[in-house]
Amino acid sequence: MTVAPPAPPTDEGLAPAPVVAAPAGPSRGRNLLIGAGRWVVAYGAALVIFGALAWMKGADPIALYRDMWASTFSNSTSLGEVGLKATPFLLAALAVAVPARAGLVNIGGEGQLVIGTVAAAGAGLALDGQLQGWAVMLVMGVAAAIGGGLWAGIAGVLRLKTGINEAISTLLLNYVATDVLLYLIYDPWKDAAGFGQPASRPLLDSSRLPRIEGFGRLHLGFVVAIGLAVGVWAILRYTSWGFRLRVAGGNAEAARRAGLPVGWLVLSSILVGGALAGLGGMLHFAGVEGQLRSGITFTFGYVGFLASWLARHDPLKIIGASILLGAIAVAGDSLQIDAGLPAATVKILMALVLLAVLANSRRTKGAAS
Amino acid sequence: MILAAEPANQVLVVAVLAAGVRGGTSILFAALGETISERAGVINVGTEGSMLCGALGAYAVAASTGSVWLGVLAGAVCGGGLAAVLAFMALARRANQLATGLALYFLGLGLTSMFGAPYVSRQIDAFEQVSIPGLSSIPWIGDIFFQQDPLTYLSYAAVPAVWFLLFRTRWGLLLRGAGERGEVLSAYGHSTTKVRALAVVAGGMLAGIGGAQLSTVVALAWFENMVQGRGFIAVALVIFAAWDPIKAMGGAWLFGAALALGPELQVRNAGVNQFLLDALPYLITLAVLVVLARRRLESAPEALSEVFEGSRGATAT
Amino acid sequence: MTELAPMLDLTAESATGSTTPFIEVRGLTKRFGEVLANDQVAFDVRAGEVHALLGENGAGKSTLMKLLYGVYHADEGDVLVEGEPVEITSPAVARALGIGMVFQDLRLVPAFTVAENISMALDGQGFVYRRGAVERHIRDSAEQMGFAVDPGALVRHLAIGERQRVEILKVLMAGARMVILDEPTSVLAPQEVDALFGAVDELRSQGLAIVIITHKLHEARAIADRVSVLRGGRIVARGIDPTTMDDRTLIGHMVGREVPALPAERPAPPEAPVPALAVRNITVSGDGGHVALRDVDLAIASGELVGIAGVSGNGQRELFEAVLGLRPLSSGSITIDDTPVRKADPRIALAVGGVGIPEDPLAHSVVPGLSVLEHMVLSDMGAVRKGLGIDWNRARSLLGDLDERTQLRIAAPHREVASLSGGNVQRVILTRTLGDDGSRLVVAAYPSRGLDIATTRRTQELLLARRAAGAGVLLISEDLDELLELSDRIAVLHAGELAGIVRPGEVDRYEIGRLMLGGAE
Repeated sequence: MTVAPPAPPTDEGLAPAPVVAAPAGPSRGRNLLIGAGRWVVAYGAALVIFGALAWMKGADPIALYRDMWASTFSNSTSLGEVGLKATPFLLAALAVAVPARAGLVNIGGEGQLVIGTVAAAGAGLALDGQLQGWAVMLVMGVAAAIGGGLWAGIAGVLRLKTGINEAISTLLLNYVATDVLLYLIYDPWKDAAGFGQPASRPLLDSSRLPRIEGFGRLHLGFVVAIGLAVGVWAILRYTSWGFRLRVAGGNAEAARRAGLPVGWLVLSSILVGGALAGLGGMLHFAGVEGQLRSGITFTFGYVGFLASWLARHDPLKIIGASILLGAIAVAGDSLQIDAGLPAATVKILMALVLLAVLANSRRTKGAAS
Repeated sequence: MILAAEPANQVLVVAVLAAGVRGGTSILFAALGETISERAGVINVGTEGSMLCGALGAYAVAASTGSVWLGVLAGAVCGGGLAAVLAFMALARRANQLATGLALYFLGLGLTSMFGAPYVSRQIDAFEQVSIPGLSSIPWIGDIFFQQDPLTYLSYAAVPAVWFLLFRTRWGLLLRGAGERGEVLSAYGHSTTKVRALAVVAGGMLAGIGGAQLSTVVALAWFENMVQGRGFIAVALVIFAAWDPIKAMGGAWLFGAALALGPELQVRNAGVNQFLLDALPYLITLAVLVVLARRRLESAPEALSEVFEGSRGATAT
Repeated sequence: MTELAPMLDLTAESATGSTTPFIEVRGLTKRFGEVLANDQVAFDVRAGEVHALLGENGAGKSTLMKLLYGVYHADEGDVLVEGEPVEITSPAVARALGIGMVFQDLRLVPAFTVAENISMALDGQGFVYRRGAVERHIRDSAEQMGFAVDPGALVRHLAIGERQRVEILKVLMAGARMVILDEPTSVLAPQEVDALFGAVDELRSQGLAIVIITHKLHEARAIADRVSVLRGGRIVARGIDPTTMDDRTLIGHMVGREVPALPAERPAPPEAPVPALAVRNITVSGDGGHVALRDVDLAIASGELVGIAGVSGNGQRELFEAVLGLRPLSSGSITIDDTPVRKADPRIALAVGGVGIPEDPLAHSVVPGLSVLEHMVLSDMGAVRKGLGIDWNRARSLLGDLDERTQLRIAAPHREVASLSGGNVQRVILTRTLGDDGSRLVVAAYPSRGLDIATTRRTQELLLARRAAGAGVLLISEDLDELLELSDRIAVLHAGELAGIVRPGEVDRYEIGRLMLGGAE
């Protein structure tokens, strides 16, 4: 037999523009350069648009960016603040990345974080006078992971049993989770000594995560979060579970036909994701807040979603993306003080950065056209 | 609740239903917009963002010009403008629709808090309730449907109009064709991209009008993040309404009523847990999806199923 | 009926055949990356003729036609329509020039009615969709063409042959003067092919220019006035009269080499059959909830190859899925190698050596982002598992073994499968499935789709090798020649029921075709 001639792509369909790129000449180095250039332009565009919007509100964009820089990366205390914000973002992002391997879109990091926080607070406040500090923290972590995992599991089960898309169900569950939190702090867990404020009593200092020397308020949770990211990366990359998740996420039907337990894989991915988000809630609670109050995790879960997409669901890149978004969040506080803009303003910058990345990541063949 | 106190219960039911129709209008407009967009094959999770922009745009223009109708127009433009970003991203850049939609929710949240701050305590000449002579005096029906604001009346007309457009015109045929199989449309020389882009922007404009109704009728105020998930509910609603504007209307009113139940009971000191009531609309949405989802998903436009790719394969059978 | 008028005017001219071809291309070249899909192609079609374009899969036939229809844009070359140079930049331009195309995977919306589908293709009918008027118009046109079509029917409910007629009608109603038919016969029963050719003949007599893409010689002979042959993107025979050339020469042109014959010596099926597969009175629902298979009873002995013939959509897919535990049974039972497949779980079938070659490899077997090597271990992870991880070195050596056994020349282990061409994807699937020495039952759905002739031969040899090794083989195919050549018995499916089981030596194609159409004459 002779080797058959390479077949041309036979049927590309008629979808929008059948432009088939023919990168005939340019070297690898030049392609890399063009690629890098596109990213610079994309991020630059995000910064310029945000600057222009701030300018419309009467702020000086140059001064604004200078302040933002100064408030984030100029000294170790502000660096600590960045790490502080990045910690829950990082875990919320992992909560998106792991299910994404199995083809799920988890927009419920917010709710899973809230429930994780609630579970951690429940365990912590029940035990903090009775056990050693480290033991309380351990129990809080376990409780948070279970709480977040189960909350996410609701969406997983709904998807497997009734076919409801998890993007929709996790979104709706976010609002329910917030109501659960509000119920607890307005009623059963309300601190009697709290001057009528809707909040729980504070966690004892002995049960709080220790701080990292020299970085202001930064706590041990940041190190834990980075360790978890590396661990998740290794598990997804080297274990057969990670490989099977990729198969199920890439083509569930192919996975089923190959005899993989697709339902279990899908469920396990979102359980693990939810557990990670729950842990994020615990770290934030035991590291920073120490007290359950309304708005305790406001939009952390959504920021985590942005971070994961920013990093294209790669756990190692998520570390960087979370720190970037953490810095933007910290800068938001300085905007409020220096430029008189609402702190939520930085959500614009976060969204623009993600849009720039999404616009630049063309999907490959095989994905929906 | 005590069943013996019948007149009081009757008043409560009518009040909840009337408030449900009024409160459901914003969801209804958003759901109509989302129906158009999804029928063309694009899911817009950023509807929440479009509603926020619509709410602020309408409120700000109404406050500045004194004309609430101009405000509604501005709301539509703002909502459509945000949706145009999705159209560009999803169609020209082939970005993931769900991720882009969520980024747009964030963008809308940020933009409205940045530009909305000055309007937080401003007053406007808002829409007033208009009683339709004759119809409004029909017992029950009149109280529920015909003592409403002009935008709610507009929604009564918008539902059949959207239905007619989708199912009885050639535009609708092309639009649905784009949502089913884009490659068929382009085989005839139509531009699938153009059809989808127009549908997405039109959908965003309707969501913007929904937001406008929220700020200029229901809340009579602007405040940060005021849409509170109504846009997301609208997205879920479209699925269980099987992409049908008329069923979407019923669903929107149901959620309006669920949203209205809390405040109405609160006023009456009914002693039902407030947070459970607050969670009710989301729980009802989930419950209805649980009951209807599988059957509904089968009638999904084909191109839309691609967005949910895997969701069909990965369900246990 | 205004749309059809200009076309009918040509009738007088058609008998003689005009001197200027309706369409002519010169030096047409199209590259995809580094692949030369069309290389300096010259070709023409006259009004009132049927021109068959022959060639293997991947020879560039579809690419050439998509260039003519404006789906692709040529890198070099000229196109002339009725002697005038034109630039076909989009399907809309092609349609305006009177060029219509019937795609192999028909361009119809299943959720729409026939009328809605046709209406999308027509211009200038006003804003409101007037259902009654549109349907009347279609019924009139259809009658005039001699097509039986119900404009109000949902396309989803039509058989494949009917859909094809809708597609042709649609192209004609849009005013086409040249019709391109891309592999129109591949999914039809012989009688349906005859009906299609009858319609094509009618169109020819009305003066249309018709291009029919095929790789079946007897069809080209049956309908074409002239044939051209494409091989490796080049025209190797142009506009010849098919009667002047014998099959051997034509195949030589198409393939460019001798095709090995299948081994004639085959072990006879065992005398006292041990069933490899026993399908007992199964009834199975399709995706839409309708009954897709009704009371089907079929046994395959180990060492036997049974073919399944039928017009596609008559239960083949459901049979494939039911046998391999991919689809639940409403009633009846299935046993593979004496092990009952108790519930719809593919792992049961896999455990006893039941493997399948799916009809749609991209949808059913290919995972985007995964390499050839990774695809090899999808279903047989046990062999390469090491603790919690995977022993990729072992996987690599297993792949080497498979490759050596099957000789299908698959792509390099690191290549991403989803980025390969259809034929190369199929080789990966075939290597994985047919290289499996332990399989007791092979269910192959259209295994040679998208393959060149030589690889098709190799695949058939491998199927026979599995049979010789004592496995049962169930071969689902739409190619009657293949079935007649390979099968010990052929079971014919029609409307979800077994219309009959025949032995290849005892019947002819038309008898099988009769069964495929439900026994009607």
